Amino acid sequence: MPSVSFEHVRKRFGDSTVVEDFDLVVADGELLVLVGGSGSGKSTVLRMVAGLEEVTSGTIRIDQRDVTPLPPRERDVAMVFQDYGLYPHMTVRENLSLGLRLRKIPRQEIDRRVTWAAGTLGLAPLLDRKPKQLSGGQRQRVAMGRAMVREPKVFLFDEPLSNLDAGLRAQMRIEIGGLQRRLKVTTIYVTHDQVEAMTLGDRIVVLADGRIQQVGRPIELYRAPVNRFVAGFIGTPPMNFVEGGLREDNGQVFFIAEGFSIKVPRGETAKAMEPLTLGIRPEDLCVDSSGDRSVEAARPGEALTGRVVLVERLGGTPCASRPARARTRPAGASPRPGRDGH
Amino acid sequence: MKTLRRIGLYAGLTLAALTFIYPFLWMASSTFKPPSEVGTLALIPDQITLDNYRTMWARAPFGRALVNSTLVATTITLAVLVLGSMTAYAMARLQFRGRPALNAATLAVLLVPGQLTLIPLYTLIVQLGWIDMYAALIVPYLFNATAILMLRQFFLQIPQSLIDAARMDGMSELRILFTIFWPLSKPVLSIVAIFTFMGSWNEVLWPLLVVRDQQLMTLPQLLTVFALGGGAGSVGVSLASAMVLVVPVVIAYMFLQRNFIESMAGAGIKG
Amino acid sequence: MRAEQRSGSLLAAPYTAFLLLFAAYPIVFALVLVFLQWDLVTAPSFAGFDNVRLLANDGRFWRAVGNTFVFLSIHVPLQIVTALALALALNRQLVLRSFWRAAFFLPVVISGAVVAILWSNLYATDVGLINKLLVRVGLAPVPWLTDPLTAMPAIAAMVTWKNVGFYVIIYLAGLQYIPRSCQEAIEIEGASSWQRFRHLTLPMLLPQTILVITLSTINGFQLFIEPYVMTGGGPLRRTYSVVLYLYTNAFSYQKMGYAATIGVALALIIGAVVLIQRRVMGKAEAL
Repeated sequence: MPSVSFEHVRKRFGDSTVVEDFDLVVADGELLVLVGGSGSGKSTVLRMVAGLEEVTSGTIRIDQRDVTPLPPRERDVAMVFQDYGLYPHMTVRENLSLGLRLRKIPRQEIDRRVTWAAGTLGLAPLLDRKPKQLSGGQRQRVAMGRAMVREPKVFLFDEPLSNLDAGLRAQMRIEIGGLQRRLKVTTIYVTHDQVEAMTLGDRIVVLADGRIQQVGRPIELYRAPVNRFVAGFIGTPPMNFVEGGLREDNGQVFFIAEGFSIKVPRGETAKAMEPLTLGIRPEDLCVDSSGDRSVEAARPGEALTGRVVLVERLGGTPCASRPARARTRPAGASPRPGRDGH
Repeated sequence: MKTLRRIGLYAGLTLAALTFIYPFLWMASSTFKPPSEVGTLALIPDQITLDNYRTMWARAPFGRALVNSTLVATTITLAVLVLGSMTAYAMARLQFRGRPALNAATLAVLLVPGQLTLIPLYTLIVQLGWIDMYAALIVPYLFNATAILMLRQFFLQIPQSLIDAARMDGMSELRILFTIFWPLSKPVLSIVAIFTFMGSWNEVLWPLLVVRDQQLMTLPQLLTVFALGGGAGSVGVSLASAMVLVVPVVIAYMFLQRNFIESMAGAGIKG
Repeated sequence: MRAEQRSGSLLAAPYTAFLLLFAAYPIVFALVLVFLQWDLVTAPSFAGFDNVRLLANDGRFWRAVGNTFVFLSIHVPLQIVTALALALALNRQLVLRSFWRAAFFLPVVISGAVVAILWSNLYATDVGLINKLLVRVGLAPVPWLTDPLTAMPAIAAMVTWKNVGFYVIIYLAGLQYIPRSCQEAIEIEGASSWQRFRHLTLPMLLPQTILVITLSTINGFQLFIEPYVMTGGGPLRRTYSVVLYLYTNAFSYQKMGYAATIGVALALIIGAVVLIQRRVMGKAEAL
């Protein structure tokens, strides 16, 4: 049974359309990531699910129920904000329990849930502290605890890790992922960081200019991006792009660009000399630093030549940059043997 | 449903705004009403008359009082701006012995209620022989602690490099203050100017103590004396005298209300 | 930095002289005057603790203090409620927002004397606007300023009216500081408008409320022009304020020593009240 569904959802602010024809079904228990740059509309979509933004047209359903006209309090969702939105004048315990107290849930049940959430998130010793006495990571957990304690139908995360430093971010990523898998609550997670998206998401929705570019599992987006935007967005370091065209020679199709030609497998339907962009992932290139011209001669159409301009040693995977002739286009190559390019 | 709430909100706001504006409108219109009509609810009188104003003008030196108030308020405002800037500049950017003490003293002055020093100041004025003289109204207000603190705070934020460059050019401190700091300080200067001027314009208790001569009275003072002393004789006349005090302020307020609010609210909070 | 020292001292000298003459000296002399009797015409004479003893037993003085507390008990809560209500109403996207704000703030810039004269006429028993409106609606007119029971409350209401715009600004500033995410979070958590106000808005406005209480209390103790103009301290001395009494002693009775004593006493009372308030509020804030 689908948990959240969007039917032709559209959002306009005055003259500009911020979200266009958003059509999607989120499965029960799934962690769906909305990823995109600023202005892509991802936060707006999330806020429409929460009820913080009104839908201009279309329908949003939670568990088949049309929630589009409902205010946030009647939707049974919980949200974790980028700046956590903790109540500064309340203790951690009061922050966690407020939602339950407002709904007049019996005291015993409140205590049980608070203890459970605090235990799961390691907040037990902090229950009587105020937010200003907590570190960023601790506040983040309180925000999550507040959401958990409500036992809602949907969790909404709005860039929750953006305000944390890199190390903490990586750690929290793992925790959030693990937590979601344990709790099995449908989650919609918004981020601009594609690494977060790739590691956390069961499925990813890539957004740009208010439109869905592609929806799919991380590996699908990686292996088979549907357009140039998605191809360039997913993957670190980003994919290399080269402009050029196709040419046929002796039954073999080549991709021609300034300074090199590459064999392209048959089966790609394209007209000759139609301008194309070739995308190659850095992981799919390897550097042969023997400097031997024989490679070029022996296997024509399978090698690129160039000069290494810069090597960024990033620890495990050094990146080498080489310009394609006159154009300075950074191309990354990781020297991992045995991987040939397509 | 949401529109219903909106309408209710605007209705409530209109009602509230009316309670604040209507009394002044009523006051204004009453000044143009003959005695028979004063006290009616109508805003536009059946018979418009200028008699109230003529009577008021004839019975007491309101023109003179207007001049007095303007003179006193303007002098005080200019003094506070100029002298206050000089002091604030020294306290903010110049090191000198006793600076922290002066700072502390300025803060302390703000803590003391005016009523404590009222009588001693009065006796001082008497002893100086300043009763019924402009000096009594002006001199005790030449320096304003709130103004100095505000100016000082602002001056602290101006980059040192500007001062250093100016000094290297051979500018004197006063020159630096008035040619460099002042142009940069327009916002805070206008804030100080407004609350100083308004404070002086509306001040009543002090003039009541130190000025007896009607020719020297300030506008609010004369107005009070006039209304209380029975010189008015009728509601219309006493309200007319109030109008003289109020109209300039309201006109200025209509054009500068944001500045007024920023100034008087800010000064009140700091005080 | 000799030159700087010199310039600094020079520039600061006028202010220092001013402070000595018009601030330090009066404060010290006020305390001296407590022990003197002086009518400004003849030479001052030493009076020991006479002034203090007189003050302690002075019915009029303590009546005035009592009146102030009556005033405050009406004025302060009324001030908080109206200022807060108006601030909440203004704290949203409104058409003509600056117009409403300007309307509420208008009485703040108007002279207290004018406001007092205006409301004397509004409260007038026979010809006053308020009673005319009451009669129109079918109610009986009230002798606002001549009935001992209603006089001080009437003045308290008027002072609230005059100052509310100022406190609205204070509350508006405080409202800006409530983070948007907190407001959205509490909505999502299920709070109704009232619950939102009670659990989020009101507690987060506590510092502003404390400020409103302190400032309006100090203001209340300094009440002068209103009773002076509107009631002369009556009826039955129910609107007699401390500052009015001080002024009368100085101006009418020519008793400088006694007037100064009243001034010192007032300063001490204000100081004590504010300190107590701060203490109580401080506890509330720590909660």
